[in-house]
Amino acid sequence: MRALIDLIIKNQHWFVFLLLETISLAFLFSYNGYQKSVYFTTANDVVGLTYDVISGITSHLHLEEENRELEATNENLRKQLHAIQQQMIAMQQDSTKRLPALSPQYDVVSAQVVNMTIHRPNNLITINKGEADGIHPEMGVVCSRGVVGIVYMTSRHYSIVMPILNTNSKISCRLHNSEHFGSLVWQRGDADIAYVTNIPRHAPVKVKEIVETNGFSDIFPAGLPIGIVQKIEDSSDGMAYMLRVKLFANFSTLREVSVITNYSSPERRVLEMMSENPEKQDSVLNSQEKRSDSIHVSTTGTNEKSVKNDTVR
Amino acid sequence: MSSTFLIRLIRLFTTLIFQVLVFNNIHLFGYITPLVIGYMLVCFHHNTSRTGLLVWGFVTGILFDIFSNTAGMASAACTLMAMLQPTILNLFAPRDASEDFTPSFLSMGFFNYLTYVLILMFLLHGVFYLLDAFTLVEWSLTIMAIFGGTILTTLIIIFIELLVRSKKRKK
Repeated sequence: MRALIDLIIKNQHWFVFLLLETISLAFLFSYNGYQKSVYFTTANDVVGLTYDVISGITSHLHLEEENRELEATNENLRKQLHAIQQQMIAMQQDSTKRLPALSPQYDVVSAQVVNMTIHRPNNLITINKGEADGIHPEMGVVCSRGVVGIVYMTSRHYSIVMPILNTNSKISCRLHNSEHFGSLVWQRGDADIAYVTNIPRHAPVKVKEIVETNGFSDIFPAGLPIGIVQKIEDSSDGMAYMLRVKLFANFSTLREVSVITNYSSPERRVLEMMSENPEKQDSVLNSQEKRSDSIHVSTTGTNEKSVKNDTVR
Repeated sequence: MSSTFLIRLIRLFTTLIFQVLVFNNIHLFGYITPLVIGYMLVCFHHNTSRTGLLVWGFVTGILFDIFSNTAGMASAACTLMAMLQPTILNLFAPRDASEDFTPSFLSMGFFNYLTYVLILMFLLHGVFYLLDAFTLVEWSLTIMAIFGGTILTTLIIIFIELLVRSKKRKK
């Protein structure tokens, strides 16, 4: 026994050697490649801090080279910026995001025209945004140059827009300077010409006056440009002016449009509908409730309706 | 005893800092990196406690590993080097030297010292790069790294020795 202990003590370095090599190889096989433990790698806090300090020092060694690189990058970026600015200027002429008259309080949803006609009497535009994007019928549609039309039907991901170029379309408008109001209608024919009717004869109309939305309807906010007066004509009955208007919106190349989503007020529309046509009110109310995601239980809903019915009647 | 320990500790951290800051950033021909950390073990005098030498070797290696993300490679190599250092030093020990002489070209003669360092560095780099590659595919690269690293590190260690010893001699 004593001899064995003597032997171990005498050759202890062999055991220490084997132990240490085993530990080393254990590290090698368990940590290497997988880096399972951060303590024995550079991810360790102390080591990381050391390298932070080192890089803080050594980063100064390459400043000159880095400066040169930065300058080159700057130059490159400046060129790109210039190119992009040029593109922006080009795009502003037909960009949906640039609506000068549209105050920021109105939310707009950008959409692209996927289908449209301009040569039929009742033209329609199909855009690629629908109810899923918050678009509902009777919302206004504009492009960067001016008014396009009104949303007519919606599906989940698409909407059909009734543009100005539809004989059923009738958009209330006003003259920019005198604020006399009339209705914008379209007659078959040119895709860039519409007519403003019901402008009283005493209104001081000039050629090249701008026609804009008047804000009476709950579809468009006031002041959106529609077109420019090209010619002053008399209406068929001779009681009012009929202004030939060149539309700002270029329908033949229309691609990007914006839908004004939060301007129309359901409450106002219900009120107007009820005053115009009391029999329709129930259906209108139902649709309005659906639209505004009302959480009324159906019984209370009908109660409210009946109360309203009474007051109107 | 304690002053020897302190000197070793200072030497350990000095070599470690130089290794991490300077020599780890050398990649001669893209793959030759000198492991100057081995200088730490070259300096141990004759008849050092073998167990102590092994522990020093292991600690040196593991510290290098932590800073280089080479877990286990350098510690295995350094431990093996520490194991063989006394034997190799015995081979080149001059007959007239004292029992606990410190290896240097002054005490051993330039040629002996050079050979001693070369053999130790070959061991260190051999084990380290073989473990690093852990395959014999592209063995030529591994062999180039071993021989290149051995020669480069030996030159660096001789240079350090010349600097240190010549200063001491002047004093």
